[in-house]
Amino acid sequence: MLVLSRPWRIIGQVLLFSLAATIVAPLLLVVFTSFKPPNEIYAGLPWPQSPTFQNYIDVFEKLSLAIYLWNSIATTVLRVAGQLVLAVLAAYAFARFQFPGRGLLFALVLGAMMIPHQLTFLPIYLMITKLGWFDTWTALIVPNLAMPLAVLLLRQHLLSFPRELYDAASMDGASELRILWSVVLPNLKPILAALTIVLFVDCWNEYFWPLVVTETEAAMTAQIGVRRFLNAEQGDDLGPLMAAMTIVSLPALAVFLFFQRQIIQTFVSVGVKG
Amino acid sequence: MTPPAHDLGTMPAPGALSRSNGGAFALPSLRPSAVTLARWSRAATPMAFLAPFIILVGVFTYWPLIDLVYLSFVRMNPFGPDAFVAMDNYAGVISNTQFRDAAVNSLIYIFGSIPLKVVLPLAVAVFIWTMSARLGNVYRSVLFVPTLLSFVVVAIIWIWMLNPVMGLLQTVISPFGLRLPNLLSNRETAIHVIIFVSSWKVIGFNVLLYLAGLSAIGKDYIEAMRLDGANDWTIFRKLIVPLLSPTIFFVAISTVVFTIQQVFTPIDIMTGGGPLNATTNIFYIVYQYLFESFNVGYSAAGTVLIFLFLGFLVAIKIAVLEKRVHYH
Repeated sequence: MLVLSRPWRIIGQVLLFSLAATIVAPLLLVVFTSFKPPNEIYAGLPWPQSPTFQNYIDVFEKLSLAIYLWNSIATTVLRVAGQLVLAVLAAYAFARFQFPGRGLLFALVLGAMMIPHQLTFLPIYLMITKLGWFDTWTALIVPNLAMPLAVLLLRQHLLSFPRELYDAASMDGASELRILWSVVLPNLKPILAALTIVLFVDCWNEYFWPLVVTETEAAMTAQIGVRRFLNAEQGDDLGPLMAAMTIVSLPALAVFLFFQRQIIQTFVSVGVKG
Repeated sequence: MTPPAHDLGTMPAPGALSRSNGGAFALPSLRPSAVTLARWSRAATPMAFLAPFIILVGVFTYWPLIDLVYLSFVRMNPFGPDAFVAMDNYAGVISNTQFRDAAVNSLIYIFGSIPLKVVLPLAVAVFIWTMSARLGNVYRSVLFVPTLLSFVVVAIIWIWMLNPVMGLLQTVISPFGLRLPNLLSNRETAIHVIIFVSSWKVIGFNVLLYLAGLSAIGKDYIEAMRLDGANDWTIFRKLIVPLLSPTIFFVAISTVVFTIQQVFTPIDIMTGGGPLNATTNIFYIVYQYLFESFNVGYSAAGTVLIFLFLGFLVAIKIAVLEKRVHYH
């Protein structure tokens, strides 16, 4: 471990403290403001003197945040579940079997990883309107079900398993699905949990795709909802906006508090591979 | 009779797929020998497992790319067949001042991001690495929080913080008699605000990548250099930077490739591309071609141009990774 000399140590402390302050101060201010009554928002202290839940009640009653949240929760759950199932199946096929075309198919999966949505949104958008999927949950879920990164990560874990694990089950005459379900999946639990969190955060925070394929409350997600409040309020009514921002940020932050170490590790391994 | 899993080749480095999996590319001969038939029947199970994934990738990634190229050469006609217009869309896009502004801005976004997204996180990571584990962990976690927030929330926070009337920054500086200018409505400063905001969101993540790299540096090297009388700066320059060069390169190329996609959200929320195109970029302009000018041809041609540009960047990435940015 490197032990720095005194001047460098001081520079480091100052730099990190100021960086952390630019992160903590605005976030605290958002949360504090969300509990302020209207008369305290533009005047007075950073924290509320007579805290109120009125802003939180307002976002549900006046701004119908509930419907946006419901769209977000439902589509995120369905999409992440689908992504995991498809990725496990594909990763298992790549890791366990030798078959003609395997290299080519794997190259296709790797290649798809490098193509962002913003390159393909136009043809998919036209396709979706033709299919009548525009402004539906289907449009939010189906085009995003195949997640190459997940396949890559899971395949790598599967390759590290000892061969005996599969062989013992094969000899008992178990079918491949059976082996996958009762032998492989239990061993994949930790990575699946971590992957679930990453996919969840990715989907929950998404802005571009719902912006392209949704239009009304039938499918608009919470992030788009928050964006709409910003436009509607034009900064006049900060309290409810801050409450809405706090609510939509809460799930990811809560999960982070509980699974800090695993999340950091997974984000790094995903990042290194992406 | 499945071959052992550990014979199947190890994970190829990103972009290095052409080298590995050599045998698997070989197609069976046309003569259906017993061996070939056996191979194909053995393929049934994995194919069934792979089918849903591959079909979706085909329909929602590769087919759209082909369709995109087609759309870039036609003018769509809602009442009849599309009209082939050769290079008209490309010529239109290239001579469009908005697109030119967007292309120039994209380069500003890319190069302007390097100090805050590549260099600063390196310094931060080294400082965290040299701190006590407890304090280092606190900083690491705090810096990571913006990664978990949505860009919508981040953009709104900073619109508010930088508001010249009621923003936090104005409150902080007003006791000194200073006035905060409206940075987002100024042509010169708006783009730098967006670069700052998008950096604020990813610094913590890049710090994590660097910390992963730093954890592999042995303390023996550092002690040896200390014995030779090296100071902190020399150790950083002569030991840490060279050993971290693969990570630095990785962070730099990811920054270059991702920044122009990533700033879409703050552009849309904070400035809408303005003032006077000062903050728009190529991804934002192709979005606007479709949803504001309803010009499918321009949108497609612009996207193909972006694709070629990104392909060029990825080619550089692969070429450098093949060479291995390494000291050994």
